[in-house]
Amino acid sequence: MSYMLEGLKQGAALLLPPGREILQIVALSLAVSGAATLLASLAAIPASLFLALKEFRGKRLLVGLVNTAMSVPAVLIGLLVYGLVNRRGPLGILGLLFTPGAMVLAQALLAFPLITALALAALKGIARDACDLALSLGANRRQLAAAVIRQGRFAFLTAIIAGFSRVIGETGMTLMVGGNIKGQTRVLTTAISLETMKGNFEIGIALGIVLLFAALAVNVALQGLQGK
Amino acid sequence: MHIRVENLGQMAGKKEILQGIDLEFAPGAVNVILGPNGAGKSTLLRLLGLLDKPGQGEIYYDGQRLSAMSRSVRTSLRRRSGFVFQSPLLLAGTVAANLRFGPRLRGLSVSDHEIRKVLEKTGLSGRESQEARLLSGGEKQRLQLARVMLLDPDLYLLDEPTVNLDPLSVKNIETAIARLAREGKTVILATHNLIQARLLAGKIVFLKEGLLVQVGAAADVLSRPLSLDIAEFSAAENIIPGTLALREGRTVLDCGQLAIEVVSERTGGRAAAVIRPEDILVSEKPIASSARNSFRGPVLAVADLGAVMALSVDCGGILFTVFVTRISCTQMNLAPGIDVSLTFKATSVHLLPLE
Repeated sequence: MSYMLEGLKQGAALLLPPGREILQIVALSLAVSGAATLLASLAAIPASLFLALKEFRGKRLLVGLVNTAMSVPAVLIGLLVYGLVNRRGPLGILGLLFTPGAMVLAQALLAFPLITALALAALKGIARDACDLALSLGANRRQLAAAVIRQGRFAFLTAIIAGFSRVIGETGMTLMVGGNIKGQTRVLTTAISLETMKGNFEIGIALGIVLLFAALAVNVALQGLQGK
Repeated sequence: MHIRVENLGQMAGKKEILQGIDLEFAPGAVNVILGPNGAGKSTLLRLLGLLDKPGQGEIYYDGQRLSAMSRSVRTSLRRRSGFVFQSPLLLAGTVAANLRFGPRLRGLSVSDHEIRKVLEKTGLSGRESQEARLLSGGEKQRLQLARVMLLDPDLYLLDEPTVNLDPLSVKNIETAIARLAREGKTVILATHNLIQARLLAGKIVFLKEGLLVQVGAAADVLSRPLSLDIAEFSAAENIIPGTLALREGRTVLDCGQLAIEVVSERTGGRAAAVIRPEDILVSEKPIASSARNSFRGPVLAVADLGAVMALSVDCGGILFTVFVTRISCTQMNLAPGIDVSLTFKATSVHLLPLE
């Protein structure tokens, strides 16, 4: 126990003030996961709206697929992205492997089904009503979409927060496609894992504290938006 | 707006919730869609309001075919109609914000004066800046109506707008509805409230399990229902089954201990007599009258309905429900156990064949 307390003390000391390297890692973590969440949301929100409002053949199957995709292990997505972006893969020409780009791609793929499924579940209760309300008052197609998005904004925010929390805490997949290269693709989770295994427990703890606060700060910020 | 519906049908999954509906709706009088829960009333209204696409059939709006309309024509048609939902759909925001939403979709702005006026008409004066979702149930319904009235549409589609409301709110909304019809709007009201139908209806459409059972002028449908379903639903008070027979040259319905004289071309077979309570005269002593049917029995119960008192009278094992005014009730000293006479004409008895 004292070992852990000692680690905590040293870890906290490392953060007062935080070194340049730690700041860089934090910045990259937020940038990669933020970009991935944004990318995933841009696809997931229209997808959830489509699934919530449209009736079509095979809809149940598609919703089932999205829900199943939520539980695909991250490491398999890592495998897929690795296959796509390595030099012999179909996207190899872009030279994305072991760059933040590959990490964004992998994290976006991980977040997409999660955000879609959560937004869809939350929309179920409100989309139909919002649609009826706007249609009956004479909304055209564009106004209808705007009204439903406006009424569903809490649902979307909740789903986006969950998506961001999922990807910023992901380790294995991010390591696989990013490579944990110092100064280039090292993010909080991969750094924690590396430092801890190297025996630098206090650095791991310091970074862990940062990760916790970074995740917390983003959640608080998004929830602040929601309160409005 | 004149609306004609042809062979309209709708499915929910594999279940037919509306089938083969042919109807016409005209402006000027309230069209009431009557029927028990699950009859397809809401489904019909949603189709008329272009909120759902019909699974089958055609709707003509002022002669224009729905199936031939482009998206923008459908939008402009929706802008000529207003929908009041059974469970109020309101935007988060103030009462005024809710009222302004419809005009904003049309690129119009409304003055504070217009808002004040429509709130006055619906009994919501002074509520402009109140949070809409914090209103009471009745106020929410009235806000829905106000929101629609502000847009001054040609067609009003009202889905049980007074369900679960207090009597004062009901009165307010009913008055507003009657006024709209008088102003020449096309008003279509779905309800399962019979008293409301009697009060407001010019035309009644009776639906059951997705089928059109009867349509016609309100008085006809209510006093001469075509099926036992409507009778049970609309004149639930006195429905007496029996067998038709010819006795001493008169047609009667033999109901066990009672024989009710009726007017009928048939003189045999099973039938049910439907007698509206307001067509039965109550007196202390038997009265000399040309009315052929006069029965006597004890009052079993007296119920205060507000405007009138409802008596349950047991005549030869058949329970009649009759109405008397409060004054006659006091004058005749009516109370359970007192014997009274019931008198009604043979022509007041509406016969329904029973299979």
